Amino acid sequence: MSNQAGQAYAFMAITPILEGEEKKLRAYLDGFTQETSPFAGLPATHFARWVILPDWVDDPSQPRQDHLGSEYLIFTSNFDGPLGSYLDELCRRPEAQEIWSHCVGAPKPATGHLLKAYLLHNHIDTGFFVAAYPDASVEKVRASLALRERLSAFAVRSQGMDPATLQSAFNAEFGG
Amino acid sequence: MTGRGPERIDYADIQGDILRAYGNDYERTSYMLAHIEHAPGGRAWLGSLLGQVTNAEQWTGPKPETTLNVALTYAGLQALGVPDSVLATFSDEFREGMAARSQILGDIGESAPARWEAPLGTDRAHLLVTINALTTELLEEKLKTFRAGVQEAEGVTIVHEQHAQLLAGVREHFGYADGFAQPAIAGVTPHRTLGGGVPEKEDKWRGLALGEFILGYEDEDSLVDPLHRPPDAPAEPLGRSGTYMIYRKLSQDVALFRKTLRDAARLYEDGDEEKLAAKVAGRWRNGTPLISSPDAPDPSFNPKDLRGNAFRYLDTDADGARCPLGAHIRRANPRDALGWKGLDDSGLLSYRHRIIRRGMPYGPPLPVEATDAGGGEDRVDRGLIFVCFNASISRQFEGIQTQWINDGNALHLGHDKDFLLGDSTTTDKMTIQGSPPFFLSPQPAFVTTRGGEYLFVPGHAALHFLAGAADRRAA
Repeated sequence: MSNQAGQAYAFMAITPILEGEEKKLRAYLDGFTQETSPFAGLPATHFARWVILPDWVDDPSQPRQDHLGSEYLIFTSNFDGPLGSYLDELCRRPEAQEIWSHCVGAPKPATGHLLKAYLLHNHIDTGFFVAAYPDASVEKVRASLALRERLSAFAVRSQGMDPATLQSAFNAEFGG
Repeated sequence: MTGRGPERIDYADIQGDILRAYGNDYERTSYMLAHIEHAPGGRAWLGSLLGQVTNAEQWTGPKPETTLNVALTYAGLQALGVPDSVLATFSDEFREGMAARSQILGDIGESAPARWEAPLGTDRAHLLVTINALTTELLEEKLKTFRAGVQEAEGVTIVHEQHAQLLAGVREHFGYADGFAQPAIAGVTPHRTLGGGVPEKEDKWRGLALGEFILGYEDEDSLVDPLHRPPDAPAEPLGRSGTYMIYRKLSQDVALFRKTLRDAARLYEDGDEEKLAAKVAGRWRNGTPLISSPDAPDPSFNPKDLRGNAFRYLDTDADGARCPLGAHIRRANPRDALGWKGLDDSGLLSYRHRIIRRGMPYGPPLPVEATDAGGGEDRVDRGLIFVCFNASISRQFEGIQTQWINDGNALHLGHDKDFLLGDSTTTDKMTIQGSPPFFLSPQPAFVTTRGGEYLFVPGHAALHFLAGAADRRAA
């Protein structure tokens, strides 16, 4: 079991969806765009998703059909730890309240420390987790990419400069 | 491997020009796009063309003076009255069409479908007839008969014509020899195996499974499947002997390309413009690969001698000092360059992404003198009709276009895109490895997409089925 790789944390919670609520929940999730994504307000998020699991895929080779008791909502997120403060922030989001209010046993209203306890209760430990950047936070990854782009643009722009000009241009750009 | 004999290949059922190139034998090619207003009329017209559609059998006598081949868009299949249950068996990307895929293909900005030549990218584009002719006179004659046939047909109109022609020396407009390196198919084009097949250990190569290019046959997945199941294909009889065709009209700004090279070369190896041109493409303009000739083109290089194409990257040039990691040919067909954690069979990451290319230039060449004086914009539209065939548009053509041409991530090149064909709306450079490395500035738009379609090329039995659907329904 490893919920953590470096400082990155992998969290997963599975919750049954209330009878007859699946369509409403699906429509709500479908309404998000990249711009309105609730994850945009959780800057520690590397990757995250909500997935609706309607049923098992039917396997006709089995003697009996095997159905789920209800639809389920799966939530997974990879983020910069620790878990507690991330869940605190998540559970303050109005979107989180709307989403988990469609689930069996969720607190009413589904928000704050009661929602956090609900998610922890339904938490499923991760078996194996690899983070691409175990030591770099999202913020650090973004900053590194931006620096790389600046450096790359500088390399193109400074091509052919004589050494003295190059040095002063480099110092001007990167404050050396 | 399996001990089974090779599959029998029904060449008579496969349309011509897929497995064997007509273009390089024929001086002229015309692409005639028809709109079908009326299904019975369209079927009758298609029926009248069937006798002229070539197949893939070897020609016994002299080559025909003209050839004719047929492909249909998804809207075209609908217009002919193909039932929905059959239409649903075609691949998703084909059903969506090229215009709907513009974001991932990099057809944005000036290349966006909203700016395409009508009716490319709309549901008015139905049936594409490709006519090859040995000479301009023969083409004119053929087009006359063809147009007369359309006149007679009920509810069929020609909505777009594109005329293309070979340029001297089989070059494209930027001056590069083009189209001679093609995939090798086991049992079909064994002479191409070295350099055209899959690179394997100990300098060996093997041909690709036919099913990578023709539907209804085993593909590379079938080879490792104990049950040898062929890949997904449209419902019978449409899926048998057919293939998907990609048609793109790519306009080339030759004056801008020449100017960009000339300006950039001022800082590069004492103004060596030809070398810079070779670094961008991965080959010198006469086709000599940089891998075998890093310093100068081999004047005796003959593209038709396929031994010259039998190179790989990792053994001599893992760091791109000869052929840059982002050079056009290294992106479009990385051969062994992507590696796979030290495995010798290092074509593993590229061999499922091969295409058969059948491009043809359009528009008159821009004389060299025109740009020597500076400027040279003559406002004449010229470029390439890019045509390719594959069994899976999403895995093959789109895989190459989206992952290797229009992005650099898979090649460890960040956001850098292909300097020739990548979309130019973002500011990405090209790196020419060396010490020091040389950077080509963010590229201006040399190449603009003017339109395109995803098409299906039915086999002969399938064409008869499509043309005859009306009779069966009436009966």
